Amino acid sequence: MPKIKIALLIALLFSVCILALFLGPRGINPLDLSDIDRTIVFSIRLPRVLISLLMGMALGASGAVLQGILRNPLADPYILGISSGASLFAAFGIIMGFSFIGTFTIPALAFTGAILTGVIVGIIGRKKGGIWPERLLLAGVGLSFLFSALLMLMLSLSSDEGLRRSVLWIFGDLSLSEWSRIPYGSVFILAGLLLAMTRAKALNALILGDELAHSLGFSPHTERLVLFVSVGLMTAASVSLGGMIGFIGLLVPHIIRFFMGADSKVLIPAAALGGGVLLCVADLISRSVLPPMELPAGIVTAIIGSPYFLYLLRRKNVLSI
Amino acid sequence: MEKGEDEVNQGAILSPRREDFFLEGERELTMTVFGSQRNFSTVLNSFCCILAPRLPGSNSQGCRRFIQLRTVTENFLICLKTAFFFFSLFTLYSLFLTNASADNAPERIISLAPSTTEILFALGLGEKIVGVTSFCDYPVEAREKAKIGGMSNPSLEAVLSLQPDIVVMTTDGNPKEFEARLRSLNIRTYVFTARRIRELPVAIRDMGRVLGAEEPSRMLSAEIEKAISRLGNNRPSDSRKKKVLFIVWPEPLIVAGPGTAIDDALDLLGVENIAGNAKTAYPKYSIEEVLYQSPDVIFIGKGMQANMREVSRGLLHKLGLVPAVKNGSVFFVSDSLYRLGPRIIKGIEELETCLK
Repeated sequence: MPKIKIALLIALLFSVCILALFLGPRGINPLDLSDIDRTIVFSIRLPRVLISLLMGMALGASGAVLQGILRNPLADPYILGISSGASLFAAFGIIMGFSFIGTFTIPALAFTGAILTGVIVGIIGRKKGGIWPERLLLAGVGLSFLFSALLMLMLSLSSDEGLRRSVLWIFGDLSLSEWSRIPYGSVFILAGLLLAMTRAKALNALILGDELAHSLGFSPHTERLVLFVSVGLMTAASVSLGGMIGFIGLLVPHIIRFFMGADSKVLIPAAALGGGVLLCVADLISRSVLPPMELPAGIVTAIIGSPYFLYLLRRKNVLSI
Repeated sequence: MEKGEDEVNQGAILSPRREDFFLEGERELTMTVFGSQRNFSTVLNSFCCILAPRLPGSNSQGCRRFIQLRTVTENFLICLKTAFFFFSLFTLYSLFLTNASADNAPERIISLAPSTTEILFALGLGEKIVGVTSFCDYPVEAREKAKIGGMSNPSLEAVLSLQPDIVVMTTDGNPKEFEARLRSLNIRTYVFTARRIRELPVAIRDMGRVLGAEEPSRMLSAEIEKAISRLGNNRPSDSRKKKVLFIVWPEPLIVAGPGTAIDDALDLLGVENIAGNAKTAYPKYSIEEVLYQSPDVIFIGKGMQANMREVSRGLLHKLGLVPAVKNGSVFFVSDSLYRLGPRIIKGIEELETCLK
């Protein structure tokens, strides 16, 4: 049964991709491509669709993993401060006008910020030879407050132009998608996803509690560390590809749980697919509703996703994760 | 247009009126203080004289103590009187001072926007500027003036501590509340309301009148008017207008939309701004739409900035099919048109040279 559902999700993902390629501010007839149409489809829309899929997958999957290892339904990939660190570094780069490696500067800075924050949170969360969920969570929250405050400070001191571009970046901006970003993004995200999927059994055990996990033959601290690294990789890569996208990491895993249950072996790939579908649709909407302008995709995901989530919450009899 | 002029006039008339009111109020207050001073001292004096012998326990010791007491009271009163005298002198003096400066042009000016700073310098008022925002970087002298904070968040304390005779603000970027705040603290303000190129000459002339630089303001606005009318006459008459896009920042793509000085300049030059139908002044624009609209000319602002060519490379690569890129009609221009000020003419001429 889960296999059929996953197959359905994959089919949905493909159809959404096709739609996103040929719909938009102006529809394109795939059978009759002019030169401009071809440029739009292959060098503008295709990389954008792929990046939205990668980001959505990373966020959905890392949300599912994180809610498991922290045993907290409110956890999302941004709660660990990874996104605040990335935003801080990216905004710093934007405001100071850095461009030492061309268009890669800002993504590289964001990735550095994200990884650095992840390492700091990991170090603070570590005590007595292991990573403790509560410590991890609190360290992440504390650090993310600090980074947000620094970010606000920087934004309030910056010029209007730098401010606008930083805010656009922080809201999630997929218009910068280029083919050149896909290789490194996909390497980190797919590596993190594979790592998480191979440790899905351990995650199931961790959700039951450390003692049970131990008696089932898993070392809770090692497993948590491995899963934490996979989350860090996916989130850092996703934030550096296109900024912060809200909603997906927190609520897509819950939506998937409503339909497919909480078995991590199914949940992780399904949440990844669901996140990809949602972000792809949201991006399609964000660039189509107000042409010739574009809206930040992060806002659209929350606007279309949250009501659906609340509706599901009302309909389904779910009391806990 | 009409509305803009109205607002300008209102601002100009309101400030002296409010000042008159303020002066009157202060005069009245001083009178009251004088009156009450006389009453107060008389009452206290008579109180001491009348009550002295009748106080209880008026034996010799008490008398002596009371005499001592009276001397102290009198001393105190003398001090009080002197203090009042000097205070009232000071009040009158400051009253005359404010009166004098209200009649003449303001001597200490604070400018709360880069555009008004540029206009003030162009009107030869640079010497009188005592404070500017941290974004005022043109002309070079502006950088050396005291900073009072940003455009949207100027520091009230910094403004007050510079003791300005007038604070020049714009409706485009300064918060309205700040103006109200300054007014409530009895600081004269002048609000510059022009937002479009065509409104600029009238606004400059008005500002010059209020700030006591009528002659230079007339000259500057005549110069701008001349440039506008020259362009109006030379407007290309052929039916096919050139399509133009002015890029403010390439990644993410932010362009100059409707209501900006850049849009006005393009209109004056007789070309079509393809982002003219966007909904905001500086929209984040869709790259696909640029491809469809296929502009004949692309301008990239702040092109003198070191990394602008580097940053735009990716975008221009994506726009390879657009006529502007194919024919090499991509121009890196200065930021002269970003501020509605005296550099506008230079900015328009720059675009004109590129379009020829």
